[in-house]
Amino acid sequence: MFDIILQAGASVLLDPLTLGLMGIGTLAGLLAGAIPGFTIAMGVILTLPFTFGMSPIQGLATMMGVFVGGLSGGLMSGMLTGIPGTPSSVATTFDGFPMVRSGKPGLALGLGLWSSFFGGMISAVILVALAPQLAFLGLEFGPWDYFALIVFALTITVSLSGDNMVKGLIAGCLGLFAACVGEDEINGVARFAFGSDHIRQGFAFLPVLIGLFAFSQLLSDVEDNVKAKSPLMAKTADPVRVEHRKAIALVIKNWINLFRSSFIGIFTGILPAAGGSISNILAYDQAKKAAPNRDEFGKGAVDGIIAPESANNATAGGALIMMMALGIPGDIVTAVMLGALMIHNIIPGPSFIQDEPLLAYGVFIAFFAAHFFMVGLQAFSLRLFLLVTRIPMYVLASVILAYCAIGVFALHNITFDIWVMFGFGVIGYFMRKLGFPLAPMILGVVLGKLAELNIARAIGTSDDYFLFVTRPWSLFFILMAIVSIIFPFYQNANKDSMFSKLYVPICMMVLSFPLFLMGSPVRMIIAAILLLAGSYFVYKRTTTLQVT
Amino acid sequence: MTNNKTDIIISVFLLCFSGIMINDASNIRDLGFEGMKADAWPRVVLWLLVIISSVMLGKSYLLFKTEGHVGNNNFKVNFAKFKNALICFGMFIFFLSTLDYLGMLLGGIVFVFGLLTFLGGFSPNLIFKHLTISILSIGFMWMIFTFGLRVMLPEGEILRVW
Repeated sequence: MFDIILQAGASVLLDPLTLGLMGIGTLAGLLAGAIPGFTIAMGVILTLPFTFGMSPIQGLATMMGVFVGGLSGGLMSGMLTGIPGTPSSVATTFDGFPMVRSGKPGLALGLGLWSSFFGGMISAVILVALAPQLAFLGLEFGPWDYFALIVFALTITVSLSGDNMVKGLIAGCLGLFAACVGEDEINGVARFAFGSDHIRQGFAFLPVLIGLFAFSQLLSDVEDNVKAKSPLMAKTADPVRVEHRKAIALVIKNWINLFRSSFIGIFTGILPAAGGSISNILAYDQAKKAAPNRDEFGKGAVDGIIAPESANNATAGGALIMMMALGIPGDIVTAVMLGALMIHNIIPGPSFIQDEPLLAYGVFIAFFAAHFFMVGLQAFSLRLFLLVTRIPMYVLASVILAYCAIGVFALHNITFDIWVMFGFGVIGYFMRKLGFPLAPMILGVVLGKLAELNIARAIGTSDDYFLFVTRPWSLFFILMAIVSIIFPFYQNANKDSMFSKLYVPICMMVLSFPLFLMGSPVRMIIAAILLLAGSYFVYKRTTTLQVT
Repeated sequence: MTNNKTDIIISVFLLCFSGIMINDASNIRDLGFEGMKADAWPRVVLWLLVIISSVMLGKSYLLFKTEGHVGNNNFKVNFAKFKNALICFGMFIFFLSTLDYLGMLLGGIVFVFGLLTFLGGFSPNLIFKHLTISILSIGFMWMIFTFGLRVMLPEGEILRVW
């Protein structure tokens, strides 16, 4: 194994071109993350066309740089201006901005930077250790289990997509339908082509993604005439000298918070579709609850910066674990990465790490190395960021719209792809306006073909439909899907209600059942712990309810 | 942002869309092989869409009946809100329709210049600025893709003649 890691390391770290591309990617990510209105996903999507001509490892290393850079870029604008650059740095502004205003901008940036770095390092170690094990577990999956896992990934995206679950479900269905258009994978029969040879080929993943995400976002950004014409940021900031030594010392001193937040980030990342936008708030909340000096939170607390920044970078590692091991994207960014791998004819799945160890470990090492680039380039990107913020949004949007068209054309050299991007851009724009979340639709597009392929394989293998509920893994994921569908009701329920008090323990008890069916000693022990803990909490909470 | 009336219209639209697609699914060829047919999965997805859209229709109709119409109904205000987006749509359609004649280089420059000018303003100073931005940005990207990434971007009839 170590020789593979060394070879993969050499392919990334000893190749000046790969390193250079990763550096450019990190810088682009830092800027994309820093500019409000731009997201990390948009940065990765816009980088994708440049990677077509690269080798898979160079392409992935570049995108990894954008991913890691983007996660840390958000802290610059969040801290210096109070406007978070990305949703994954929202909680950073709670304490980062007050610390900057209290006259410690160098320390605030240093804390954010080094928390991101250490959070990323912790998740990189977990990624290398856990992804192969999870992939090994994934080899147990049959098509029934895979289909159930995809259903779970889609339901959890819907349940986490906000208040309107119905609209999330509709968006997910539309994504699944978009993936159906064109020749089907199994029989090669044309579907919904309406006589067009272009549609018969199906919609390519990249134009759909750029249209839905980048094109529609740019249209939203220029919607307001006044905002579109004014510079990106009304508030500007001065270049700051980052206090590295003091920040490192403080991050290490608060190591419990660092590790707790990083693990929250990793866990959130492993959950399909739950990304940095959730983990940074969760970690901040936990840090606040655990801190002895809660009153300092919101006024520039050190822990209030360490928690969200370490969590959002750790989320990336968690999301990559899921993508590399099972081929299921952890969030929109990894969905794009999955699409990028497919463009390079690589399909991640349980056997991916075994079949393509050099590429898989190369990705892990690129994730690791991108964090060093992120630290090294932060000061330079800060200056660039201050320059970019003087440009009005309409200028950036116009140029990027044209760039999107060129990038999409480069995929297959056909104009139809640009029309597809435009069509999905219009759909995405109106979906945004009408309150439909885009994440379920994007996941539907990415996972639609995989879902169909697996259900077809399952039905082709056996006509026993009960296998979906009698196979332990399939049952486990179906139960998880039901749990995630009920989750929004739990969130909105009255905290004193019976439902709210019993939801978690009953879920624990229910999920123990398929684990028991799996038979292996470790899983049976976990199942027993879940069952006992669940029963204990049910007993305790029902007796408390009876007394009150 | 949205209101009950809009949600009713959207759900009706989605129901119509699903209906048309379910109808079209009957045109999908059956090759007679065993296993799952090519139209089975799309039908499942579309029927799911019908069910969820019906739920949305019912929900918004009930809300509309109890709470009444909530939201802005003024077409002029809404049109003004979408003006810039509509300009982008128009410019993009123009860009795509003329791509065969103008090519990616000229078409891109015209597209960026047109969009910048429509969105930013028409003063002589701005027009000069927009022209410079469009030539530099598209020229730079065209060079990267053509010479750096070896992508054959559409040349266009005009440049081909030259």
